[in-house]
Amino acid sequence: MARTKFPVEILSPEGEVWSGEVEMVSTRTTVGSIGLLANHEPVLAMLDPVELRLYETESDVRRFAQGEGYLQVAGNRALLLVEEAHAPEDLDAGDLRERLRRAEQELESAEEGSEAARTAARDKRRWETFIAIAEGGAS
Amino acid sequence: MQTQRDVKDRIASVKNVQKITRAMEMVAAARLRRAEQRIESLRPYAGAIRRMTRQAAQAAENIPNLPILEEHEHVRTVALHLVTGDRGLAGAFNSQILRAGLRAAADHEAEGRQVVFYASGRRGVSSLAFRGKELAGRYVGFTDRPGYADAREIAEALMSAYVDEKVDEVEIFYNGYISPLRQEVRRETLLPLQQATILEAGDEEEDDGERPEHQALVEYEPGPEEILRRLVPDYVEISVFRALLESTASEHGARMTAMRSASDNAGELIEDLTLEMNRARQAEITQEIMEVVAGAEAQA
Repeated sequence: MARTKFPVEILSPEGEVWSGEVEMVSTRTTVGSIGLLANHEPVLAMLDPVELRLYETESDVRRFAQGEGYLQVAGNRALLLVEEAHAPEDLDAGDLRERLRRAEQELESAEEGSEAARTAARDKRRWETFIAIAEGGAS
Repeated sequence: MQTQRDVKDRIASVKNVQKITRAMEMVAAARLRRAEQRIESLRPYAGAIRRMTRQAAQAAENIPNLPILEEHEHVRTVALHLVTGDRGLAGAFNSQILRAGLRAAADHEAEGRQVVFYASGRRGVSSLAFRGKELAGRYVGFTDRPGYADAREIAEALMSAYVDEKVDEVEIFYNGYISPLRQEVRRETLLPLQQATILEAGDEEEDDGERPEHQALVEYEPGPEEILRRLVPDYVEISVFRALLESTASEHGARMTAMRSASDNAGELIEDLTLEMNRARQAEITQEIMEVVAGAEAQA
């Protein structure tokens, strides 16, 4: 059964990633996985790296590898501000593995509890998520 | 006296150079247009982040005490990040950044502060290394088309150094983009971040009427203070990204201008050489006539 559609806009610092009408948005906030339907109550949340899914219909699903960002729902519109969002086929697993290796190295050399360590841990989590998406393993 | 042949060869080689500089000018013009678009593309995102921050700050009633907002009591070490290009042939583009950075470093050192260099772009990295400066961070290979991930990497390194108290202040030097013909060296203090910067309305602010109507009813996941903790560092990332984008646009603009004047110079050189060639040809003709006349006179 078709659900009511609502407008969604995805913006990154490099420009608009996607905008259109969808039945459901599936993503992850720092609190947990979230499925947004039309007429969701206003919310402001932080997003974590995950496979973002936009259900244009139940079977027509658009997927993105989504980095950290923010989700704002207001007046039945959803705005996702993400640092990066890539179509899974645009991901380069080799490049991601190299980035993951660098993050792991930094994590090892950083002092425990330092800002550098926190940053490296965040990078590591992001690249691991992206690698899983690139290799088709939906997370 | 140059012979006709010599001058002809020189004209041919100058013409070749002119072809190359023309082509480089055209490539730079095309890349400049793309770089300008990318500066434009950042505006909606930066504006939305600003609006979101103000909304969260209102809900939180005050901005939490974040380490990147706090001034260090004593400024002993200053980090200077120089934004240059990976390639040269762009007029004063790279050298004016290096000059400004080195002068600022000398000023800091004169006042007893240590200086730590960071640089993006091969030109800056190699020039600083050549001058014997140690680099705490080097970022190369993207200045033709910097991505947000590149900016984040730089911003994260600078913020970590600041928060972990390895440095007490961070300045960034880059070529600000005004127009294809005009770029200016900008020097900005990145850290500590000023609270005023966060709450003031930015120039990218466009009142598009998308403000949430029932702010009081907005649900925050997690609380607004937690969200601010992540939003505030984004300002530093966005500032670095904008500096990289403006620098790239400036680089293409500077290269376009440099190559245009190189093409113009080549054109002038070709005109001069053509005149010289004509003179050489005329001299040869005169010489031949003199010889014929002299020969005829000898026979008479």
